[in-house]
Amino acid sequence: MNSNTMSVIFASDNESHLNDLTLHRTTASLPFGGRYRLIDFVLSNLVYANITTIGIITRNNYSSLMDHIRMGRDWNLNRKNSGIAIFPPFVLNTAHDIYKGKIEALYSLRNFLEGAKEEYVVVTNSNIAFNIDFDEVEKFHHDKGADLTVLTHRTTDINPRKYVVSADKNNRITDVRFPIASDSDEQLSNLNIYYIKKDLLISLIDNAYAHGSYDFEKDILQKNLDNLYIMSYEVTGYVAVIDRIPSYFKHSMELLNMDVRNELFYKNATILTKVKDSVPTRYLDGANVHNSMIADGCVIDGTVENSILFRSVKVQKGAVIKNSIIMENGIIMENAKLNYVISDKDVIVQPTRELSGFESYPIVIVKGKIV
Amino acid sequence: MNLNKKECLAMLLAGGQGARLGVLTNDVAKPAVPFGAKYRIIDFPLSNCINSGIDTIGVLTQYRPFELHQYIGNGQPWDLDRLNGGIFVLPPFMRAKSGEWYKGTANAIYQNIDFIDRYNPENVVLLSGDHIYKMDYAEMLAEHKKNHADCTIAVLDVTIEEASRFGIMELNKNGEVIAFEEKPKQPKSTKASMGIYIFTWEKLRKYLIEDENDKDSENDFGKNIIPNMLNDNQRMFGYQFEGYWKDVGTISSLWEANMDILHGTSGLNLGDDKWKIYCRNTAEPPHYVANSAVVSNSIITEGSIIYGTVKESVIFSSVTIGKGAYVEGAIIMPGAVIMDGADVRYSIVGWNAVIGKNAKIGETQPPSKAGEWKISVVGPDYKVADGQVVPANVMIGG
Repeated sequence: MNSNTMSVIFASDNESHLNDLTLHRTTASLPFGGRYRLIDFVLSNLVYANITTIGIITRNNYSSLMDHIRMGRDWNLNRKNSGIAIFPPFVLNTAHDIYKGKIEALYSLRNFLEGAKEEYVVVTNSNIAFNIDFDEVEKFHHDKGADLTVLTHRTTDINPRKYVVSADKNNRITDVRFPIASDSDEQLSNLNIYYIKKDLLISLIDNAYAHGSYDFEKDILQKNLDNLYIMSYEVTGYVAVIDRIPSYFKHSMELLNMDVRNELFYKNATILTKVKDSVPTRYLDGANVHNSMIADGCVIDGTVENSILFRSVKVQKGAVIKNSIIMENGIIMENAKLNYVISDKDVIVQPTRELSGFESYPIVIVKGKIV
Repeated sequence: MNLNKKECLAMLLAGGQGARLGVLTNDVAKPAVPFGAKYRIIDFPLSNCINSGIDTIGVLTQYRPFELHQYIGNGQPWDLDRLNGGIFVLPPFMRAKSGEWYKGTANAIYQNIDFIDRYNPENVVLLSGDHIYKMDYAEMLAEHKKNHADCTIAVLDVTIEEASRFGIMELNKNGEVIAFEEKPKQPKSTKASMGIYIFTWEKLRKYLIEDENDKDSENDFGKNIIPNMLNDNQRMFGYQFEGYWKDVGTISSLWEANMDILHGTSGLNLGDDKWKIYCRNTAEPPHYVANSAVVSNSIITEGSIIYGTVKESVIFSSVTIGKGAYVEGAIIMPGAVIMDGADVRYSIVGWNAVIGKNAKIGETQPPSKAGEWKISVVGPDYKVADGQVVPANVMIGG
């Protein structure tokens, strides 16, 4: 059945600080889980709920995202009615500058929002790996009589730049603020995913834009806590918010846990991604692989432990990779040793080189570099 | 009428049952049989076509076509979803006054003359759906045109012992075919036909109609069309192919071809970016190799989970190899589960089959003569009980 919900996805956000990993790309196109980009998770969840009118808002560095999404065919979003649209900045002549925040960005998408036949909209960031059923969110929204539903989750991993919320026993949000030092360990964190009636969103955006506001959380959420029913939908399953290098590393390593994999890849949605026609991975004589996740196209003749290899990584004889993430096309040459390393795409580590970071501070090798 | 004339169109014979593959082809046609950890046999000719610049392909199906039709779909995985041309599955169909099954390879093409005429091609490439090889048909077509040939047959050198299994040709020094014999008892040459032909369409069309009118004909290319053209002194040339080619029509050849991927010396290289083999991909996460696993000299694809030992094997998607299980020289097809402690050697385990705990499948001792493995086969969806022993050279299930 056709869904009555559309979606707007932000390809980048103000909360994430992924430094070297997002030098050349949006958060949305950050490689994750051996063969995916972060945006695959939210996209696949939307497609699973039959939400197929999707706009992606980008700000900069979006060529990798365009290359990944193309016409959306790999998510079955190359439709005649509905489908996927990517909005680079300056796409509409109403925008005078690159937008500062979500409000301006959404304002520039007014025509897209109004032109769609759907009555509801999911506004979401793309920096979360999870597997949820948006039908349940929709049901919650209607059951609670909500004006705006905010997806939240309980976490002890507090990002000081990211809003936390408080909710009463009926799930109504009573406060939206930045975390402070005296907060308890566990907080209800805003996932930056909103479910709202389209007309209401447009009027809130129009009003905020007219007042020169640009911060959705501060200028819309915070200001309307008394006027609107703003409800918290707490996501209780596995949620991996990727907003800093340590959280990227931690959540990547969690994929080596079978329960996490089962929940993330098989719970509701099938996680779809761009098809690359890689060959199967080949293990040679010297392969010695333990507790690792290996994508297609790799050739392994060395040791790989507690690690994630993306597509087409070459591990030469005698090389030892431990506790590391090696992205696409990495070549780890003979007898090189890596421990707690995140190596971006197209990196070459030359023979006998040794690099070692720490669990709390993995070394990042920038895309295309030769060590 | 189609105004977009094609220079060359391919017809792929995919209707055969493949009876010699036993339980593997009980429910699917041979071209749909899984191969090489993530492919199906038909991916090879289809990828060769698109890599050679042939974008219009008729796939003739007859035996158990559903799986194959579903797999081909709109042809998108092979870049064959085209506005003009693309891929077409052509099962037998009813006409106003008649309708019949495909009686033979020549009759299958004869029944689709109308389809070919729509594209009005100068040449037609005729392919089989049961060979593993990489070949540039464009080079063969260039030879065909240079020779002003009516028919060009791809030729491979085989040993004299193997020659009786093939259509064998004698060529003169210009490469012209002067004699052709289907499966000769006493082969006069080692030039074997690979079952890959290019015909000038106008000429082939005429011979197909003549053959159909001949009540004694078996309507077969090797037995009728080629000999008839040869008798009429048509211009027929051999096109010498050098490279990896294998007919995977038997259990042992299917097993060998899979093993050939593991060995660089075989010449079967799937990892050439300039000649990719395309397939319909599954949406599975990368495979996971556990702490307890030992993996060497094998290929593994996405969605599989390995807890046990895997040596010299081909592991397809979504396979589970349990703790303490031992897998050597085996082909484990999609979704199969090898439970804890099971021992699977020199075998083919069909898709979604389950090998129970501590079961033993296949040869346990090395062969008495090198290369003489006797392959055991567990049929698709079959469940081998815990502790059950399936000896070498046995086929169960189906």
